[in-house]
Amino acid sequence: MIFSRKNRLDRIAVALLILGLVFLLPLRAEAYAGPGAGFAVLSSFWTIFVAFLYSFYALVTWPIRQLLRSFRRRKAYGKAQVRRVVIVGFDGMDPELAARFMDEGRLPNLAKLRERGTFRPLRTTFPAISPVAWSTFQTGVNPGKHNIYDFLARDLRNYLPFLSSAQISEPKRHLKIGKYSIPLGKPEIKGLRRGTPFWHWLGKAGVFCSVIRVPVTFPPEKFPGVLLSGMCVPDLKGSQGTFCFCTTRAGGEKFREGGIRIPVERNGAGFHSYIPGPDNPLGTGGELRAAFKIRPDRSLKQARVEIDSETFTLKVGEYSEWIPVKFKAGMGFTAHGICRFYLKELSPEVEIYVTPVNIDPGRPDLPISHPVTYSIYLAKLFGPYATLGLAEDTWALNEEVLDDQAFLAQCYGNHEDRERMFFDALEKTPQGLCACVFDTTDRVQHMFWRYLDDDHPAARDVPRGQRPPVIQDLYARMDALIGRVLKQIDDQTLFLVISDHGFKSFARCMNLNAWLHQNGYLVLKDGKSESGDWFEDVDWSRTRAYTMGLNGLYLNLKGREREGIVEAGTGSEALKEELRSKLNGLIDPASGSVAITGMFDCEGIYAGPYVDNAPDLIVGYGAGFRASWDSVMGQVTGKIFEDNVKAWSGDHCIDPRLVPGVLFCNRKIATEKPAIVDVAPTVLKMFGLDLPSYFDGKPWPVAVAEGK
Amino acid sequence: MNPRPQLATTAVPRFFAVATAPSATPLLLVLAVSVVVGLLMVLVFRYASDQKAIGRAKDRLKANLLAVRLFQDQLPVVTRAYARILRGTGTYLRLSFTPFLIAILPVTFLIIQLDRYLGWMPISPQQNFLVEAHVADPEALSQVTLQLPPQLSASAPAVHIPHDQEVVWRLVAQSPGHYNVNIATAGQTAMKQVVVSPGLARVSPVRLQDNFWERMLISGEPPLAGNGPVQSIAVTYEPRIIRFAWLEWNWIVLFFVVSLIAGFFFKTILGIQV
Repeated sequence: MIFSRKNRLDRIAVALLILGLVFLLPLRAEAYAGPGAGFAVLSSFWTIFVAFLYSFYALVTWPIRQLLRSFRRRKAYGKAQVRRVVIVGFDGMDPELAARFMDEGRLPNLAKLRERGTFRPLRTTFPAISPVAWSTFQTGVNPGKHNIYDFLARDLRNYLPFLSSAQISEPKRHLKIGKYSIPLGKPEIKGLRRGTPFWHWLGKAGVFCSVIRVPVTFPPEKFPGVLLSGMCVPDLKGSQGTFCFCTTRAGGEKFREGGIRIPVERNGAGFHSYIPGPDNPLGTGGELRAAFKIRPDRSLKQARVEIDSETFTLKVGEYSEWIPVKFKAGMGFTAHGICRFYLKELSPEVEIYVTPVNIDPGRPDLPISHPVTYSIYLAKLFGPYATLGLAEDTWALNEEVLDDQAFLAQCYGNHEDRERMFFDALEKTPQGLCACVFDTTDRVQHMFWRYLDDDHPAARDVPRGQRPPVIQDLYARMDALIGRVLKQIDDQTLFLVISDHGFKSFARCMNLNAWLHQNGYLVLKDGKSESGDWFEDVDWSRTRAYTMGLNGLYLNLKGREREGIVEAGTGSEALKEELRSKLNGLIDPASGSVAITGMFDCEGIYAGPYVDNAPDLIVGYGAGFRASWDSVMGQVTGKIFEDNVKAWSGDHCIDPRLVPGVLFCNRKIATEKPAIVDVAPTVLKMFGLDLPSYFDGKPWPVAVAEGK
Repeated sequence: MNPRPQLATTAVPRFFAVATAPSATPLLLVLAVSVVVGLLMVLVFRYASDQKAIGRAKDRLKANLLAVRLFQDQLPVVTRAYARILRGTGTYLRLSFTPFLIAILPVTFLIIQLDRYLGWMPISPQQNFLVEAHVADPEALSQVTLQLPPQLSASAPAVHIPHDQEVVWRLVAQSPGHYNVNIATAGQTAMKQVVVSPGLARVSPVRLQDNFWERMLISGEPPLAGNGPVQSIAVTYEPRIIRFAWLEWNWIVLFFVVSLIAGFFFKTILGIQV
């Protein structure tokens, strides 16, 4: 201690002596001490200069901007009942669980909201799927007006799926030089969600909005405020998340979904492998790759990983920080991404899991925020962060590439980043709207419901006493977050905590395509008893109905589908009625439970210009059931029902009446059955704005102040 | 004699004498030295600094600059961002301080030595120049005499300036060479080197009594006798101007600019946070 103190004093003395010499003998020679100091001084000067310049500009233009702002805001704040609205969205928070945990005393802050303000189930959309419900949340309309019915939509020309929220296509023009095809321009990104988010109306009225990771906000749209896109932002490959599992183990089955197995090859004392990236934009074929080296130190159970100019050490069972990765295509084309490495095993085999390559928020190749600088701002302030819409790698846990602990570490790592962003947005929005959606609640419940359900097939080998309280901890964490928010808001703030849907167990899988096949509605080509993905062996000329995605059931309608055979009108109505009567109340013979509790005719539940894109029927599975992954992917299997033994053990893509979301508010709301579609009109009303006539939601009567 | 001044005034100049070939032009020398120093300094900076902390500090600064733009209509937010910019600038400067300290000594030393070659032009043949002797005792002023080698001659009578205790001679050189002029007073003689050359040469504009730091920084010759009547002898070499990119540069300014550009280049390709 004394020794180190002496050293420190010595160093200080030497430093002071040198400085003294430099400044006491000021001749021209020592006025400059090399580029290092030069950069430091210049950069500091430059920062202050830019800040000063901008201050000057801000000062000079302040009166004009103030005038314009007052003019724009006269509508908003003139009649506003609040200064600020804060919305915290917990994707998938379940009202029954919330009530149970509050009663058990696990959620003191939410309980406080319940006592002093409001706690109600929040009616969700048909179907109860996040992109559908959050689209309704932001636009205030039913899916017939915003055009989102599922994660996937179908292409009527070929029965193949495409992402329902956004389409990314190659630049239209290319310059051909030899074997290269150089893109002239950027990829075209087209948002498929229709309707206007309510923060656009607020922004136009001069109310500043900070919107963080609300699903289906990709591509980000221009509006007067800041927005970071959430669910539906692709990874650098353009997928919704493709992890990479690098292993020395030979063979192994192909992952059903979401991942690629990459060989790790020995190279002297070390190993090398690669991360697959996007397709080469120069049209030379193949994907781009980022190679990396692994130098194991088995005695220390760690390895050095080298990728580009980055070198880092990883211990077994540990994640790296976010590592920048470059995919070079040549001719100056480089795609920038970030990913995290997880060293799964070092001996006897080497296995490394790599997250999907996220778009680098500090250097986005695709716009993921509005303005573009907002994602850069957050990256500079907090460091790199997950940008992928579905950043928590549920597939990797489902495929047992990650274990429970590694998955949770990934989830909560991302969650902490988002908390930092949210609290920064809260600080930066003292007046206006601050909305943030946390999707950790959804991912963790999907993957750990098996420990909550007494008899879940995926956890039968785990004794009840040894089941970790993952979901209880999750809710407690979210409650702590609410506690921190409550400390930062005043009585001029309307605080809403909402979720888009609730959750139920997913213990039994139902392949509805198999049921349709066995009941003669879906016909396979001669000699086939099962089909591959995406209706590979389906005979469309004899098929009357099919299902794709999580809840939609489609008729093979003549004039609509490419090979449709069902006549529109009475023919289709009769078929729908027939299907409804047969499926509604369908019993799972093995469990004796009702597998489908509701079949909903979309003509009756949707209204708007995009109803033609809707499924014909929405399948409302009963609690404990859901569409099987095979059925979702348009596959016909031999079995209709089977146990779900995957980690993905909880779900909400069932009868929407069974999985409402939650509504907490710091004020009393005098509505017995609030719905998610009402949020947008309520917020506009709180800021004193007129409601657009096409809104489907109705504003809630909100008490003037807390407790009243 | 103290070995440190010996090292400073002999070994290092010898190194530079090798480094500066007779054919080298001042411009090429400055450019070459600047590029090498630019590279060395960013390497020193890399290993002497906390690269992660500097990266974080710079990122925070950029974030707060962006915050000023992003949240321009939120006055309290903008005010806080300005305060954070100032604080962040302080943090950044603090983090740059250690490598700055490590770099400043060798670079200062290098600049001093280079300044002997590049800061002044040697006397050209047939060019008039002044020699100024400063004496300690006003009474010794009238006794001061100048002894010149044959290649140098006085072109005007000596001027005595009693107020400054100084005598000034105007001389002219006949041919290139290193010459010694002797100044005698009160029975003692002090010598000063005069460099006459059309090219690049190491010059010492002044010879001083024993003061290590002063001699280190501006002189290039052994000290005058500490108790002698002559305190200093100066030769009025012309400051060197380097023409580059249609501008006239003092070599230090050019060194500053070029080494900064070189440093920026190397830091970028080596991925060093500066």
